[in-house]
Amino acid sequence: MLRECRRVLRPSGRTAFFTIHPAAGLTPAQRRRASRDGPIAVATARAHRQLLEAAGFTEVTETDCTAEFAATTRAWLHQWDTNRAELAPLLGEQVVAERQAVRRAQLRAIGDGILARSLFTASR
Amino acid sequence: MTKIERETAERFAERYRVGPAEVSRRVELAVIGGDWGANGYTTMAQADRLGRELRLGPGARLLDLGAGCGWPGLYLAASTGCQVVLSDVPIEGLRAATARVRREALMARPGLVAASARTMPFAPAVFDAIVHTDVLC
Repeated sequence: MLRECRRVLRPSGRTAFFTIHPAAGLTPAQRRRASRDGPIAVATARAHRQLLEAAGFTEVTETDCTAEFAATTRAWLHQWDTNRAELAPLLGEQVVAERQAVRRAQLRAIGDGILARSLFTASR
Repeated sequence: MTKIERETAERFAERYRVGPAEVSRRVELAVIGGDWGANGYTTMAQADRLGRELRLGPGARLLDLGAGCGWPGLYLAASTGCQVVLSDVPIEGLRAATARVRREALMARPGLVAASARTMPFAPAVFDAIVHTDVLC
């Protein structure tokens, strides 16, 4: 996908993206937890940088945004709890319960230093 | 498309089919700070940061991969004056984005492409900027 991005960018083009990833320096067991409790985590931040550079991107920057990620996850949880009576008929009680459980597990994983979110920028 | 990609696309298509409800809009405003159909973790302030990092402005051509209902690509087009192409696998989100453009007569007329980012149906060197939020994870 990153190689495709570079192909369709003009020579002075830039890319910027947020990505959720396992934190650095995890044990194999913690990595498994990151994959289980986060989105389908495939790469670490270091791997993202390497993938960008391997695709030919330059001036790669990385900014940790994990604190905001935790705050936003907490806000989704709180708002869905607060508005549950209206959301449940719309989406189904089971769907609401499942998504809230996923968010709780994700928030715990962020709190335990296992899941992170970063902003990457790079030039073509 | 891999099995995981197919399942992810189906899951999001189901969410987009639910359509805009007042409660969803209210929740999104409280969590994200806007009402552009965001369902992830990119806040309004972070979307504005993307716009600055990508130096978006009138005349720039932006590609939003995994655009869902248009967040943040459609918002960035409306706020910076750039042109945008929204691309995603589920067509339902792109339909919602089109509906919003029509309903609100937004200046930003997005290009819409239902495709996987793995092989993009674009000529080389056509975009000034590419954005995606939590697609690579």
